[in-house]
Amino acid sequence: MKIGVLILEGPYQHEAADTAYHFIKAALARGHQISGVFLYTDGVNNANGYIKPPGERNIAQRFSELAGQGIDVIACTACARFRGFRPDMLAENVKLGGLGALAEYIREADRFVTFGD
Amino acid sequence: MAQKVAVLMRKAPYGSVYTAEGLRSIMGIGVFELDISVIFVDDGVYALVKGQNPAALDMKPLGDSFPMLSEFGVTRFYVHEPSLRERGLTPADLVMEAELLDDEGVARALKESGVILPF
Repeated sequence: MKIGVLILEGPYQHEAADTAYHFIKAALARGHQISGVFLYTDGVNNANGYIKPPGERNIAQRFSELAGQGIDVIACTACARFRGFRPDMLAENVKLGGLGALAEYIREADRFVTFGD
Repeated sequence: MAQKVAVLMRKAPYGSVYTAEGLRSIMGIGVFELDISVIFVDDGVYALVKGQNPAALDMKPLGDSFPMLSEFGVTRFYVHEPSLRERGLTPADLVMEAELLDDEGVARALKESGVILPF
């Protein structure tokens, strides 16, 4: 089955981004496909390539790796602007995009799951 | 057939970004052939109250934007009636007419939607 994912929370403060990542990994391991991962509102902070947590899991690296495996991971352009992102800050393989990408992930998905508070 | 999407408004309009982003997301995805309904529950019903003036917070009023969503093809608006009542509100306090739903009605509206976007 094809699954779309929306993330509304940033890294570390809450578990939403971690849960989303583990959910995606588990879905892929069971042979499901991901129509796309849309990082919205504070969720865009999960794609900050400058995240360097000493001795802890790197949440930005996780989404970068998923995107490197060919999964669409898009961070909302406007939300990134609201949060002071500069072009060089985006984690590798993650792209900026508009809500059209979210609409596309919803349309293509058999199931759509939101992670937030 | 267009995918059915329910946008669930759960929060008061200015205490967090959720109502504003829920509204923006409807305008953003509404133009992409999705069949969208908007459901207001809990403090989310405050988003529809008339005469909002958040100028003192240096924020923009949101309420009057909801009736304009018909321009984006969004015409189905539902309000959880117990949420209204618990907050001392009546339909006359709202910026627009919306269908009033009880608990079962909200459950049904959510079930009918393949996708739920909770804000």
